Amino acid sequence: MTTSTGDRTTEAVQRELMGFLSEHTRTTWAPDTDLFAQGGVSSLFAMQLLVHIESTYGISITGDDLNLDNFRTVQRMTALVERLRGEGSDG
Amino acid sequence: MADVRADLQALVTDLIAGHAGEWDRRGEIPVEVIRKAGAAGVLCAQVGTAHGGPGLSSVDNGELTAYTGGLCSSFRSLMTSQGMAAWTISRLGDAGQQREWLSRLTGGELAAVAFSEPNAGSDLSAMDTLIELDGDRVTVTGAKRWVTGAAYADVVLVFGRYGAGAAAILVPTTAPGVTVTRVPDPLGCRAAGHADVRLDAVRLPAASLLRGAGQPLSLLVTTALTYGRISVAWGCAGIMRACLAASAAHATTRQQFGVALADHQLIARHLAEQYVAEQSATRLCAHASAAWDANSPELVTAAVVAKHRAAGDATRVAASAVQVLASAGAQDGHVVARAHRDAKLMEVIEGTNEICQLLLAEHVLATTGGAR
Ligand SMILES: Cc1cc2nc3c(=O)[nH]c(=O)nc-3n(C[C@H](O)[C@H](O)[C@H](O)COP(=O)(O)OP(=O)(O)OC[C@H]3O[C@@H](n4cnc5c(N)ncnc54)[C@H](O)[C@@H]3O)c2cc1C
Repeated sequence: MTTSTGDRTTEAVQRELMGFLSEHTRTTWAPDTDLFAQGGVSSLFAMQLLVHIESTYGISITGDDLNLDNFRTVQRMTALVERLRGEGSDG
Repeated sequence: MADVRADLQALVTDLIAGHAGEWDRRGEIPVEVIRKAGAAGVLCAQVGTAHGGPGLSSVDNGELTAYTGGLCSSFRSLMTSQGMAAWTISRLGDAGQQREWLSRLTGGELAAVAFSEPNAGSDLSAMDTLIELDGDRVTVTGAKRWVTGAAYADVVLVFGRYGAGAAAILVPTTAPGVTVTRVPDPLGCRAAGHADVRLDAVRLPAASLLRGAGQPLSLLVTTALTYGRISVAWGCAGIMRACLAASAAHATTRQQFGVALADHQLIARHLAEQYVAEQSATRLCAHASAAWDANSPELVTAAVVAKHRAAGDATRVAASAVQVLASAGAQDGHVVARAHRDAKLMEVIEGTNEICQLLLAEHVLATTGGAR
């Protein structure tokens, strides 16, 4: 079975992440806004976000990648998703 | 999976049933018993078969945890700690660390998890323990308090400051510079081996440091505690089941004023309310575990909701059970006496009632609040 996530473009990933963020924070986020600098997210939210990204994109984020810098902005999260999906299809 | 769970449950019955009262009075579980459970994977039953674990789902492990908690909260606390250590290793460790440590933790070695310090209880951001990298070695210095299971543990997963962020490191209790001192006479979970752990410039190989190092403390702690909260919540459901069983049995056998206690409506009400509490806590636990198994982001808040509600309900249900049994339950070692003391401490650990309330209020405001 092929998953539709495999075909998503960078822009679609960004759009999806911004949707998740606005739904869970009641705020609209630009792709380059620092989520954690704004004090707009709750302390439980970082982990929710992590779990959301893993389950939506079928990747697992552990060890070194579990770095808040990878989650700071929508752009960085998108880059992380694309990198880990790339590694997944190599193997 | 149900078969694996049934086997583990049978082992738990074998190892624990009939002993919990004595362990409570002595303040100790024979370490061979704990190791035996550990070697069968009972203590961290969600570890996958690839690493030698039983690979239970969160829902199945939850029912196993409730069952164990109904027999002995001290033993169940050890499951919570070992499970939390294993989960943190699988989350923060690299492939090599997972391979080594998860097989050790399902092979009979025992782990504890240390966050709390003299100046850092609810406010973990005040943590002073320092983890420093020095070439191919790491040095850990600090003082941890009230670490469940540390008196039995081979290894303590220690959280501390690391650079601008935080890290978790696996510290063998035999390493030079580690001093483990039992907490004397704890109010509850008396046989859970709570201890203070002093770390005097403990030097360890750099591989002891879990790879996900340098992140904000809050993310590390939320990761570990989310497992712990679901586990404690299920353990509280188990406390309520034990209280309900003891209350129902007593109310039907003991007679006063010429009828069974259960025929007095004020006592029947205790039974009804205990049942409602147990049922609602079980549903919240099942919901959190289902979210865990589905890897749904909701699991993070669902875990806090389940823990907060189940701990409060277990405390009320245990008090109600002591009331129903009266003098028959008013002795240390008795199932309802243990429940009364053990449940109260569940309102303190893995986020006190107040800390859970603050987390949940923050969540409510972030997700449903208007513009502020
Ligand atoms: C049985 C047991 C087992 C434990 N096991 C472990 C373990 O395995 N590992 C580990 O690291 N630690 C463990 N602990 C320690 C436990 O995590 C702490 O006790 C807990 O975090 C509370 O910290 P404290 O006791 O210092 O209380 P404090 O933080 O001093 O709190 C005292 C009271 O003030 C309230 N309070 C604090 N801050 C606020 C606030 N901002 N707003 C409102 N109220 C507030 C608290 O809710 C509490 O009611 C254990 C404790 C017990 C009792």
